[in-house]
Amino acid sequence: MAMIELSHLSKTYGSGENAVHALDDVSLEIEQGEIFGIIGLSGAGKSTLVRCINLLETPTSGTVTVDGKTMTSLNGKALREARRNIGMIFQGFDLLMQRTALENVRFPLELAHVPKAEANERAKELLKTVGLEGREGAYPAQLSGGMKQRVAIARALASNPKVLLCDEATSALDPTTTESILELLKELNRTLGVTVVVITHEMRVVERICSRVAIIADSHIAEQGEVQEVFLHPQTEAAKKLVLPSRAGKLEGFAEAEARDAADPCRGELIRLAFDGMTTDRPVIADMILSCGAPVSIVYADTRSIEGKLYGHTVLQLPGDEATADKLKRWLRDQGISYTKEVQ
Amino acid sequence: MSFGQILSLVPEALWESIYMTIGSTALAYVIGLPLGFVLVVTAKDGIHPMRALNMVLGAVVNFLRSIPFVILLFFVTPLTRFIMGRAIGSEAAIVPLVISAFPFVARMVEQSAKEVDRGVVEASQAMGASNWQIITKVLLPEAKPSLLNGAAVSATTILGYSAMAGCFGGGGLGSVAINYGYQRYDFLVMFVMIIVNVVLVQALQESGTRGARLADKRIR
Repeated sequence: MAMIELSHLSKTYGSGENAVHALDDVSLEIEQGEIFGIIGLSGAGKSTLVRCINLLETPTSGTVTVDGKTMTSLNGKALREARRNIGMIFQGFDLLMQRTALENVRFPLELAHVPKAEANERAKELLKTVGLEGREGAYPAQLSGGMKQRVAIARALASNPKVLLCDEATSALDPTTTESILELLKELNRTLGVTVVVITHEMRVVERICSRVAIIADSHIAEQGEVQEVFLHPQTEAAKKLVLPSRAGKLEGFAEAEARDAADPCRGELIRLAFDGMTTDRPVIADMILSCGAPVSIVYADTRSIEGKLYGHTVLQLPGDEATADKLKRWLRDQGISYTKEVQ
Repeated sequence: MSFGQILSLVPEALWESIYMTIGSTALAYVIGLPLGFVLVVTAKDGIHPMRALNMVLGAVVNFLRSIPFVILLFFVTPLTRFIMGRAIGSEAAIVPLVISAFPFVARMVEQSAKEVDRGVVEASQAMGASNWQIITKVLLPEAKPSLLNGAAVSATTILGYSAMAGCFGGGGLGSVAINYGYQRYDFLVMFVMIIVNVVLVQALQESGTRGARLADKRIR
């Protein structure tokens, strides 16, 4: 059975004409022990979605089940107990500024009335786990962003939760720190078996640690599946927008280029090559140019590593001369490299 | 009066002023602190919204705050007499002082508690904190430096009011300034009392600011 099950979840703010549908009939299943990514642009509803999981937001309709408990049927004390089974970290870290690192980690244990000595022991241990041994007495103001997030992670894990929700947890951090926090999350997932839900607007976060991903756009789940599958073959417009990040920006630029190209016989059609992990190791474009004896220009290129394999997209501009262009395209087909004509 | 005579008046007057101020401030906080938190907690974006209660309490606070202190002083005389047995003297002055100060204190407390980051409150809710735990373990400790600053402002304001009460039967620096200075046209008496008052305000404000700074762990 799935660890987290969202079924026909809707959330509407306001009513009548002013109603805003933040979530519209969202259904998702997140398996125990996986790292699941929810990606979307700002305003897509992803934050509302994650906050519905621990009922910080009450869904307008639909049910949320976590670890076999129907969250949406709970309230008061039962809900608070159930929330202790779900850790959460935030973009702004949200630490108690007047408490030391140790006291912050101890906080959820205090809430659960764990004896102080035991709570201190556990908090120390957790700080060690997240790599902050020796910083127990530091106040958040004395720690860097990455360290603050580590304290927050330790705090979220204090009550031994089955699920860890990460709401844009690395969005306020620089790339190096982001990398180290993601590494930590991955390790905690591996060693503790905690199910991790990652909310982000950044592709690289999902690529780096998630096994499955859901793309949320306009309050809907546009697409979901294995990260490789979704990122390599995005089906929906929303997914393409996220996965092929230059697309939105390129449209204007390319339109200009196209107008110019119509007048310039040297510039021909644009094609997009999709690399699928094996071909990226080969110097495909150099091979093509050498064997066809014709130049192409690389208009856009983006390759990335997903779970150890290389994937990517490259947009080429073929020469205006049709015979040469055909020759190049034939070469690509012969090599088994798929391409699509790039259209506006 | 000679300067020596004037100075001999200072200790008792100063003690009365301190007594009235500290006593009234303490009592005003006994009422104002919980009231301030109730205002924050029951607000529309609070952790336990209660629209009607919030509106009624807000209206009461605004009503009391809009009565000028000099008028309130006389207006509550029957109540003062009922509680204290008399309406004259420093102890008696505490009644109108508290009535006029607690709504002010409530607003100061409300302001301080509102400064606590919403995210932190939300994080606590996510960790399963009850509303009571949020008040006692999050809002109160996190707002502590701001509350201490507010207490200093409240105390100095109450000191000012206590001088006014001194003019109408209360004791303290205000009453000496009026009775010996104004009534007897002895400018020097007023001047000395003003100086003592200034020193007292400085001391109160400084200790509040210092206390807040020492308590605040956000500063490295």
